[in-house]
Amino acid sequence: MALFSELRRRNVLKVALTYLLAAMLLLWLVGGPLTAAGAPAWANEFVLLVLAIGFPVALIFAWTYEITPAGIKKTLDVDQTQSIVFKTGQKLNAAVAVLVVLGALALIGERLMPTFEFPTVEEIVPLVREPLYESPNNPDVPQEIRSYTLDNGLRMIVWPDHDIPNVVLYNFVRAGGRNEYPGITGLSHFFEHMMFNGTKKREQGAFDSEMEAAGGSNNAYTSNDLTVYQDWFPRSALDVVFELEADRLENLAIDPEVVESERGVVYSERRLRVDNDTSGHLFEQMLATAFIAHPYQFPVIGWPSDIENWSQEDLESFFQTYYAPNNLTMVVTGDVDAEAIFVLADDYFGGISSQEPPQPVTTVEPEQRGARHFVVEAETQTPLLHMAFHAGRAADPQTLPMNVLLNVLAGGASSRLHQRLVEDEQIALAVGGFQMEGFDPGLVYFYLTLPPGGDPNAVEARMLEELQSIVDEGVSDAELAKARNIMLADYWRSLATINGKASVLGNAEVFLGDYERAFDLPAKLEALSIEDIQAAARAVFDERRMTVGVLQAAEGEE
Amino acid sequence: MTRYMLALCLIVFGGSAAAQGVTLPDPVRVELDNGTTLILIEKHDVPLIGLEATVAGGAVADPPDKHGLANLLAGLLSKGAGERSAAEFVEAAEAVGGEIRAAAGREAIYVSADFMAKDAALMVELLADMLRRPTLAQSEFAKLRERSINLIKSAKSSDPSELLSDYANAFLFGDHAYGNPPGGSEASLAAISRSDVVAYYNDHFGGDRLTVAVSGDFDAMTMQVLLTEAFGDWEAASGEPTTVDAPPPAAGGRVYLVNKPDATQTYFSIGNVGVARNYAQRAELDLANTVFGGRFTSMLVTELRTKSGLSYSARSSLARHRQPGSVFITSFTETGTTVAAIDVALATLGQFQDAGLDDEMLLSARNYVMGQYPPRFETAAQIAGLYAMLELYGLEKSYVTEYGANLTAATTESIAAVIDEVYPAPDELVFVLIGDAEKIREQVAQYGDVTEIDITEPRFHP
Repeated sequence: MALFSELRRRNVLKVALTYLLAAMLLLWLVGGPLTAAGAPAWANEFVLLVLAIGFPVALIFAWTYEITPAGIKKTLDVDQTQSIVFKTGQKLNAAVAVLVVLGALALIGERLMPTFEFPTVEEIVPLVREPLYESPNNPDVPQEIRSYTLDNGLRMIVWPDHDIPNVVLYNFVRAGGRNEYPGITGLSHFFEHMMFNGTKKREQGAFDSEMEAAGGSNNAYTSNDLTVYQDWFPRSALDVVFELEADRLENLAIDPEVVESERGVVYSERRLRVDNDTSGHLFEQMLATAFIAHPYQFPVIGWPSDIENWSQEDLESFFQTYYAPNNLTMVVTGDVDAEAIFVLADDYFGGISSQEPPQPVTTVEPEQRGARHFVVEAETQTPLLHMAFHAGRAADPQTLPMNVLLNVLAGGASSRLHQRLVEDEQIALAVGGFQMEGFDPGLVYFYLTLPPGGDPNAVEARMLEELQSIVDEGVSDAELAKARNIMLADYWRSLATINGKASVLGNAEVFLGDYERAFDLPAKLEALSIEDIQAAARAVFDERRMTVGVLQAAEGEE
Repeated sequence: MTRYMLALCLIVFGGSAAAQGVTLPDPVRVELDNGTTLILIEKHDVPLIGLEATVAGGAVADPPDKHGLANLLAGLLSKGAGERSAAEFVEAAEAVGGEIRAAAGREAIYVSADFMAKDAALMVELLADMLRRPTLAQSEFAKLRERSINLIKSAKSSDPSELLSDYANAFLFGDHAYGNPPGGSEASLAAISRSDVVAYYNDHFGGDRLTVAVSGDFDAMTMQVLLTEAFGDWEAASGEPTTVDAPPPAAGGRVYLVNKPDATQTYFSIGNVGVARNYAQRAELDLANTVFGGRFTSMLVTELRTKSGLSYSARSSLARHRQPGSVFITSFTETGTTVAAIDVALATLGQFQDAGLDDEMLLSARNYVMGQYPPRFETAAQIAGLYAMLELYGLEKSYVTEYGANLTAATTESIAAVIDEVYPAPDELVFVLIGDAEKIREQVAQYGDVTEIDITEPRFHP
């Protein structure tokens, strides 16, 4: 009882009451009106935590110290005859009364006042985290773009565009053929399929049926470097899509029965794209021949025996490593507000833990010192000739001049190779060229379809002649200007849709390290000289680093 | 036409979706004295212009045994025109990053162009030269014809799925014009001479057959002047416009087996004659087909891919022309599972015809069709294409204005009636397969009388 009366005398009980009342009022304010006005969702928990910690501190303070006319002193040091604890107690009583009245007013207000509709969270700028949302640094970049990196490493880029009431979401996963090795070739691509096949919360098929029921559609693709997931949906489906994406990143189920059935689907895809498509077949053999060490030698869809044999453990460890938030970049374009997307991202993806980064791919393809030639026999009336040279990475400075040169050589019906080989000499039915732009050095690649009876050796010789003439004499001013114009027009065409915008931003961020680099293209094209192009040709078109594959009918057949 | 646009906006905003975002610019529609129709839609978000011109006629106007004639002519239009040689013509467009190309569709020759806005005058000049002053030189004709024949041979060797529709239409429609392969066959192309091309041009090319729809970053008045100067004095075509009768439904219980001995999988189409573009209950049909085979969670994909792993993909599609086109289920599977996959497709069709759509499927399909609608009209080129299509088929305002309302009004009952009307009964089905005949010939005979052709035969018709 002595303790209780001493607690009363030192106003500890009144302090406790005052503290609790004030705390309730504060929590009500944060939980209701302030959240509605844009305070982040975690504010409530944060305030509760601070108040909980503060409560014992306040009580100990009240017990230990006393307010005196000379300031705050330790109770033990206060001459108790001069104590003003009674006056302090009266002040506390008044505070309690005020708080009770305020609380009552708040309660009545909430019931009786006409409800004020705060704008929804999506439309408000949450000031608290604004500095974390980065604007573009370069003035040439559209200034409405925002980027943000979550605490778990997930990188987000948003480009609002209100032209149509739709949204595009791309999720770039840094996992592709280059992350594979014999035994698990094709696993990245298989995983692309498994990401649609059920989670711990959703059965197989529910991801797609829920997205489509909300008006959205989706797809995905896998390359040597990346697995990319794409969602296209009306703005009204934003929450549904974020929830679905978060669920499969957080709770993916790898059901052994589904794995078996999906092997059949992937095998069917392989038969479609490779086994029954002569061009796909030759391409697979080309990569396997041009690369002998680097994993670009593996087909993205996987060798047949690997499709049949990868194990449950392979799948589980692959998911753990490569689908961690710190290995992802998401791009959202369309009818959205950037800050609202970041709030959604924090809510839905913020709780997913980051992982150790994947093992880097360290194998470097050794220098090729001599041309490689091979032949594939197939039932065909029209032979195919593919020709490739070792070249650079996406991020290398030589990539752009090489793309300009590929435009001059094979960019359209007026290009050199089309005009000379297809129109004038008619030794090819079609010719095209592209450059592998990946994390690691890839190939500059030409593909030609020959007419029935066409002579692959003669066409190879003509190709080499054309490439040598670029090395020796470069390109003309008119050719450079034309290639620039074609690439500039293509650039604008890609920015004419929200889908194109998402693709352009994401690829620049992933391969060049910064989405802002996507907008350098016009200036860089302007700065290119004929010498730059000739230098790129000289660096790449070296016969000793060439691979040539021919697909034709066996001797004696047509 | 302005009201067309407003109505379209309503659909784009459609249903419960928020009324923010899309505004499609107002079009200007002009009919010139010679019968040419111009449709102009300003759109200023990027410095591009998209154009689509149609010359009525197309592959249906090909003479029997000269299939591919319209498409050869379309290809020749840019092989020299006006003062420019073939090489100069393509150089002129590509030098400024422009694209202009022509191809024959089923009922028109289409010219599509996509240029930077600053090059609008050049684009119109090239278009007018192609349509009004093509050189049609013998040397270019001979070269293009040979290349076209060889490209068909190449497709037969490389990727047979590209050619499935040519075989399927040939077998389903027979001698009717919708059975013509628009690109021709090796044999039909070989039968065409330059004089056939010139005759087709004289019969079907003229101001009265032309519609030009153009959208993008231009001033409508300026564009109207440019196009009127280019086409206002183009005289009418000398031949009668081509008309096509409705094809009768084909006899069912027939199998067309295209033998490709090295194939490790079988590609198949199953169906019959469907509906025309002006089919009154389009909304019901689109909803039904979305559920059956028009999206990833469709019944066909669920059964043939997700549940069984028999195929990578499966779909049902409707070709809609002036007259009823085809309705086909299309998929592919490993040679050894050909019958298993076809049986699953047939069972799924039966289930769809028996049960129709329930309320949940209907709601999902409606959201899906509406949600995927706005991106179809996002670019200048897409908008030009939409207007060219409406004009070509002479579609009433209601085709656009009532679509959204019709999607909303469709009920499970009205959809059931459409399914019953459009999708063929089991005994009405026509089967077309490309695969290794030796391995599947006997098994597929259970679906009907088998007609066989080797893929190297220079034609698509039996």
